[in-house]
Amino acid sequence: MSVCCDQHSGKPIASGDLVVALAGNPNSGKTTIFNALTGLRQRVANYPGVTVEKKTGRCRLPDGRRATIIDLPGTYSLISRSPDEQVAMEVLRGLRPDTPVPDVVVVVVDASNLQRNLYLVSQLVELGRPMVVALNMMDIAERRGVNVSPEILAEQLGVPVVPVVGHKRKGIDRLRQAIASARVAPMPGWQLPAPMQEELLTVSSALGGHGAGGLAMAERLLIGDPAEDVRRLASRPAVASAVRWSHQRLRQLGIDPMQADIEAHYRWIEAVADRACMSLDELAAMGNVGPGGGILDYASGRTSITERLDAVFMHGIWGLAVFAAIMATLFVSIFWLADPIMGGIESAIGALGQFVTARMPDGPLKALVTDGIFAGVGAVVVFVPQIALLFFFLAILEDSGYLARAAFLMDRLLARVGLHGKSFIPLLSSFACAIPGIMATRTIESPRERLRTILVAPFMSCSARLPVYTLLIGAFFASYGAMVRAGMMLSLYLVGILAAAGTAWLFSRRDRGPASAFILEMPSYKVPQAGQVFRVVWTSTWAFLAKAGTIIFCLSVILWAMTYYPRVPDPQAAPAEQLRHSIAGRIGQVLEPVIRPLGYDWKMGVGLVSAFAAREVFVSTMGIIYSAGDTDEDVTTLASAMRADQYPDGRPVWTPLVAVSLLVWFVLAMQCMSTLAVVRRETGTWRWPVFMLLYMNGLAYVVCLGIYQVGSFLTGG
Amino acid sequence: MQKVCDVPGCNYCGTPETCRLNQLGVGCCGAVVAVEGDGELRRRLLEMGFCNGAAVEVVRRAPLGDPIEFRLRGYCLSLREEQARHVRIVPEAQAK
Repeated sequence: MSVCCDQHSGKPIASGDLVVALAGNPNSGKTTIFNALTGLRQRVANYPGVTVEKKTGRCRLPDGRRATIIDLPGTYSLISRSPDEQVAMEVLRGLRPDTPVPDVVVVVVDASNLQRNLYLVSQLVELGRPMVVALNMMDIAERRGVNVSPEILAEQLGVPVVPVVGHKRKGIDRLRQAIASARVAPMPGWQLPAPMQEELLTVSSALGGHGAGGLAMAERLLIGDPAEDVRRLASRPAVASAVRWSHQRLRQLGIDPMQADIEAHYRWIEAVADRACMSLDELAAMGNVGPGGGILDYASGRTSITERLDAVFMHGIWGLAVFAAIMATLFVSIFWLADPIMGGIESAIGALGQFVTARMPDGPLKALVTDGIFAGVGAVVVFVPQIALLFFFLAILEDSGYLARAAFLMDRLLARVGLHGKSFIPLLSSFACAIPGIMATRTIESPRERLRTILVAPFMSCSARLPVYTLLIGAFFASYGAMVRAGMMLSLYLVGILAAAGTAWLFSRRDRGPASAFILEMPSYKVPQAGQVFRVVWTSTWAFLAKAGTIIFCLSVILWAMTYYPRVPDPQAAPAEQLRHSIAGRIGQVLEPVIRPLGYDWKMGVGLVSAFAAREVFVSTMGIIYSAGDTDEDVTTLASAMRADQYPDGRPVWTPLVAVSLLVWFVLAMQCMSTLAVVRRETGTWRWPVFMLLYMNGLAYVVCLGIYQVGSFLTGG
Repeated sequence: MQKVCDVPGCNYCGTPETCRLNQLGVGCCGAVVAVEGDGELRRRLLEMGFCNGAAVEVVRRAPLGDPIEFRLRGYCLSLREEQARHVRIVPEAQAK
């Protein structure tokens, strides 16, 4: 707090390197300005303890000093309980020990949405830090017939206002200059109701100070700011009782401090915006200015590009058709377009492994390098095409403004089961692979709905399950005809969707916290910037490789060791014999009594253990066990070997019922270490991956137990 | 009961005192009178500009009926019916 108070004097800030916080509403074009200011000198990390990205960059100011720019998460308000906005608030107030207190605050303001953007500005003014306003999107405002004057705005706010066009880098030099000479804005006199002003004095005297700092703190106490520094003060008995009495007196007068405070801010904003928007005078003469929202009435007089596009994109029939077309393109790309690239990467890494170990003698070292290390790297890198493609589409959809529309169109369906309109794309992507799907949940602002989406996404049948479905359906239902087999395949997908919907609904019913509000801004459409799109693709792919990738790599090496050790003493032993002897094989045998009621024997148990590397590994494990090899041509051999397999008493090991039970197991069970690693990374704790492992496998066990037991009873077996 | 507004397609027939934001028909306008609801939602709605008698227009409903898109203070945002009903409105009897 001391730094903050030193700067109340209004003097230009001290020389030396600067820490600059870049704040702004979501959709205000903040990221483009951050990129223009810092160029490629950026770093992306995480704020410790939360899963909020911390983006910092460096830039040189005209006077030779260097500035570290912190790109804060987009925020509508400094009073918030959402993790993103809370981080922004804590950095701005200097409450985060991991981040230096900013010397200058640059706030990006969307000129085409001036009033709502000025609300954040009005809160930032109260911080009493040197401030600069970067006025963005003046072109859009002008197209809507609103001419915002930066000069008048600067005069009204008392801080420099620099017009910028982020993607054209216009005004960036002036912005750097303004940062170097930023000043503290004068405190505007909010017109709070008189009784509330008196109560502010009462509370601030309970705090022991009448100064500007004391009054500001009293205001935050009265309006119930949930920030840590306020709560600490509010826990002092004297302060708590003063606040309680003030609340009571105000309630008797019918005043709610929180509402009065916001309304006072907006009254000031309306006055500032009225003066800064030049064409408004003429409009007032036309009698076209409504209460509290003068600009909008004018804007709605003509149809903007956004309105014309929305007439199609949000239409009951055309809108849904466009939506379906966009989603189909996205899905086809990550499902089929990524596939050959993934295959190529896998075989390239495999070939590289062969090349490196070509001169090595057979033995543990060679196996470690090819099947452990290179396969582990392959297991990580194989996800990159899907992640990169999905984030490419997501960045375009988000930057263009369509993502909000897609959420608007789909929200009703998803809201019924406690999810969010923005859960649609993550869930759709999970049909290709849950890894990019879970990463895509970052677009969901409300943390609870995001977590629910993460928890149910793995129920969507991913492409790794397909080889297993194909093998089992092909092996045991070949005689039923193509329609039945297609129907079975479809029902497996439906079972996954139903499980996702059911569990999401259950989680939302069990959620005792206050319902999270669905407040979705519909930004104007913009042309996405190629540079920005590729930056998103790069940072998300890199984040996956660096964070989740290391966990996936380690797990796959461990899993390799489990199928390799201990060795059979006889070096000529068949691979099947070796697998049976290994840790994984022994786990399969130990598991047999547990999975027996589901209809599985120890070989399937080994298959389930090895499927943790990736579900399709089940097929190649079966290939090893039945000595059928693991290439595509061998699948028919494998299928007949499986059909021929018998228990010692002559009963077949595999029956259609066992196959159904196993298929449902593959739909419902969590048996993908890569998904668990990504959930760990996205939720920031091991708690959720462990929870996921328990509830998904528990559900799969109960359902498969029911299927096999009821099925055996009905078929008399 | 008499219709309050003459916008075609607007079926709101109640008295102005009982009108809530989710009851307004598409194309209708109104001025915010009060925001109810629990603390956090109420704060959010007020902060997004539903205060001081701001003019709100109903832009459209989603094809499935919910959420609803509104225009206020020069920008658009959408709310679910469940949230919009917390905003009390005086409908303006004027066609767009």
